[in-house]
Amino acid sequence: MTNSKMKPHHDMGGDQAGPITPDRPDDPIFAKPWHKRVLGLTVAGGAMGAWSIDTSRFWRESLPKTDYQSFTYYEKWLAALTNLFVAKGFVTRDEIINGLPSGPKQPLHDAALDADRVLAMLAAGAKASRPEVTKPLFQKGQKVRTCLPDATKLQMPGHTRLPHYAAGKIGVILFYHGYHVLPNSNAHFLGECPEPLYSVEFSSADLWPDGRAGDVVIVDCWQSYLEPLT
Amino acid sequence: MPHDHHDEDAHSLLPSEPALRVKALETILVQKGLIDPAAVDAIIDRYEHHIGPQIGAGLIARAWSDPAFKAQLVNNTDGILSDLGFGGRQGEHIVVVENTPDCHNLVVCTLCSCYPWPVLGVPPAWYKSDAYRSRAVREPRQVLAEFGVIIPPEQKIRVWDSTAEIRYLVLPMQPAQSLGLDESELALWVNRNAMIGTGLPQPPAET
Repeated sequence: MTNSKMKPHHDMGGDQAGPITPDRPDDPIFAKPWHKRVLGLTVAGGAMGAWSIDTSRFWRESLPKTDYQSFTYYEKWLAALTNLFVAKGFVTRDEIINGLPSGPKQPLHDAALDADRVLAMLAAGAKASRPEVTKPLFQKGQKVRTCLPDATKLQMPGHTRLPHYAAGKIGVILFYHGYHVLPNSNAHFLGECPEPLYSVEFSSADLWPDGRAGDVVIVDCWQSYLEPLT
Repeated sequence: MPHDHHDEDAHSLLPSEPALRVKALETILVQKGLIDPAAVDAIIDRYEHHIGPQIGAGLIARAWSDPAFKAQLVNNTDGILSDLGFGGRQGEHIVVVENTPDCHNLVVCTLCSCYPWPVLGVPPAWYKSDAYRSRAVREPRQVLAEFGVIIPPEQKIRVWDSTAEIRYLVLPMQPAQSLGLDESELALWVNRNAMIGTGLPQPPAET
């Protein structure tokens, strides 16, 4: 695998792993009652607008490796959310230690999501597309080579959406999606820096020693992840 | 940065039992006016009772029944979903990928758990598991076999790794046995996994 020493623990595409356990039709949507509270808190916390989805992803993947690997899914969400509230100054470490706020009960913060706004917030979402600035560099059908992941990061430990398994590989532009917010900068509050976004198709045989000719994997790549193939 | 002092990460200061951990954080956030607990209840209610794979199944059934709608769903996905009130959070940019006798589509997110929430609801546990995230891109045929789906050798597989804010929805092939059924009957043939690519449409279970 390319650069495996540098591969972060969340970037697991292609890793060896055990069997998958499909669910059953009557399984509940949330296995435990606290799972749904984590989901609700995470969505409501995000709706305050103090951080983006890119920042949330960065904080989840930045959990210590032992926690990332031992935590269940919603535990990761909860840990990252806790750390974000503290890092952004909304909550202090003492409050987390004591399990209590340091002062009296506060009225609802201006930025907080109140119940009346939930339906509209969920229905609106937050588009990642942005107006086109200049024409995209690459055309449908064009061959491109992907960078190495570290070359796409703007600062360390960085954040990139280029998986290691698709780094330094040759693929073909399948779709152009217009300009999208660049997670690499947006995750770190360095601006949206929108770039052309493409779906890039790779032959499985080019990605994996045991890849099957004919099968393909498609990865969405921002323009700065790609180099023209000369 | 978060990696540097992990013994001191704020999350490690919370109680060790997850349910108590959530309660501790929510108590602080509510007391500080950062979270309206009624908003949390309302979000949960949407994903527990309203937004789920029945929405996607209705779209697929309509696409099978109505070629003009299918063309819109494939070519103007965000426009038609918005018109129908099915757009929104975690589905702002949806691409519909169509299965054919030559090509089977499978969706994964190897880096986290991106999934088209407004049409399928919240993702199932296996979709978020390390095993699925690791293996789907490398050995899709073996993964599909674990779901009971055997893809013939002449049908190629396209695996979509959801690395951006584009969300993929699989449009499965309509089973021959379901031809002629009306839209509401057809919707019962479309299960959630068929719209992720880890399943195929099935006759509804006898009740």
